[in-house]
Amino acid sequence: MTPTEAAGDARRAIRPAPGRAVVSTLSVLVFVLAWELAPRVGLVDTALVSQPSRILLAGTAIVRAGEIWTHAAVSLQELAGGMALAVLIGVPAGLVVGVSRAVRRFVDPPLMALQAAPRLALLPVLIVWLGIGMASKVAVVFIGAVLPIVVATAAGVREVEASLVQVARAFGARPSDVMRRVVLPATLPAIMMGVRLGAGRGILGVVVGEMYVSQEGIGHQIMQLGSSFRIDDLVFYTILVSAFGLATTAALRAVERRLRPWGEEV
Amino acid sequence: MGGIARGVLPGVVSFAAIAAAWEAAVAVGLLNPFFTSQPSAIAGSLLAQARSGALLDNSAVSLLEFGVGFGAAAVVGIVLGVVAGWSRPVEHALDPFLWFLYSAPLIAFYPVFVIWFGLGARTVVAIAFLLAAPPIMASTLSGVKRVDAQLIRAARSFGAGGPEVLAKVALPASVPMVIAGLRLGVGRALTGVVIAELFGATAGLGFSIGYYGQLLQTTNMMASLVVIVALGVLFSEALGAIESRVDAWRTGPGH
Repeated sequence: MTPTEAAGDARRAIRPAPGRAVVSTLSVLVFVLAWELAPRVGLVDTALVSQPSRILLAGTAIVRAGEIWTHAAVSLQELAGGMALAVLIGVPAGLVVGVSRAVRRFVDPPLMALQAAPRLALLPVLIVWLGIGMASKVAVVFIGAVLPIVVATAAGVREVEASLVQVARAFGARPSDVMRRVVLPATLPAIMMGVRLGAGRGILGVVVGEMYVSQEGIGHQIMQLGSSFRIDDLVFYTILVSAFGLATTAALRAVERRLRPWGEEV
Repeated sequence: MGGIARGVLPGVVSFAAIAAAWEAAVAVGLLNPFFTSQPSAIAGSLLAQARSGALLDNSAVSLLEFGVGFGAAAVVGIVLGVVAGWSRPVEHALDPFLWFLYSAPLIAFYPVFVIWFGLGARTVVAIAFLLAAPPIMASTLSGVKRVDAQLIRAARSFGAGGPEVLAKVALPASVPMVIAGLRLGVGRALTGVVIAELFGATAGLGFSIGYYGQLLQTTNMMASLVVIVALGVLFSEALGAIESRVDAWRTGPGH
């Protein structure tokens, strides 16, 4: 690599080349334009694929009608409840699994099995246990989110530098102090990564849970609109959910990057 | 082999302990078997379903849907990933869509797919495909992109053209990343199959969970769950084994 090339690469690493944003924006614009025009020239049927302008109109009407806020509030409460439980239980569990080799050997296999299996398949069981209301959705979010948090926290603990722990011990810190003052802060970025991955699972869980059986919530609306073939409203809702998922993940990623001492990516 | 004994034994112990605790909790009345069932009953249900052929039928339906959806996702994901990894403009053009597909809760598109493909196997396959393709593409993309520039320059200086460099250098070097992507995709495809079957199907493992759930037959429901968990573990272990095999030849200093 010549020095100029290297410099160019370094610059690109710091600030993305301007070409990138331009090309990406252009490509999205072309996509939206093609989507808008294809039905107009009779290539596709708006009853099947909708159309950006129709979605925009449907969206304005939905937001004006205001009903969406009650559904959004229900979904957000379920998500918040499940995530809070997942953090409260997942972080301490991850710390224990990360610190203790014995616990890890015992707990790893079931964790791996749950990690590999589609956990949303538990949905019907949770409905039988907890009913069709909010409790079963909170549980779905929890089950989806808690595993990534446990796994990431445990991995983070194992990466804590042994010298830090030794220094703390040498200065007379008790195990609980070591945990609280050394291990936990050093593990924070890893925990945050678990929370980010968990939030993605949690959002999926809320939507799927509500789509399966519920009486309110965004997922409930999506299923209702789908079965009544209201494609414009339906696509507006799905884009809204996706945008929410995208924004949440991006925000959590930003927090995570701040917590990492050198802004490194994992 | 000692490695296997060390790796498998704690797992067996751990699962046996969970099953024993579960069975005991039901026996002493801590858990109500109507809600939680119990391992012995679940094993019985698995045997009965295996004998009646229901287990095989449901598994066959799900596996077929999984195979088609995941297979299509592998082909499309790898092809798009290679193209985007090879060409900067294509990468930048596809980037927003990949990001969207990767982070959005895609199952929200289920009703749209029902409108397109009707209720049943085709929608299940489509959902599995949609869920599995993004990670495969993303992983392939970064694999091709990160191929050692030295290797490419060496091939070029020996007179290899673009397509040749791609076929003989870039693709082989990115195989481990492709397999890592496939491994992610397997889990997501299985999730897609199960959820889509849960929502609307007439056969399959996901369907049977929902069906038994509505009849409040917890034991049968748990039996189907066990099969799904086993399939998930099996697939991910199989790809994990392939992954470590493929990776073995290229490990060396500097990697």
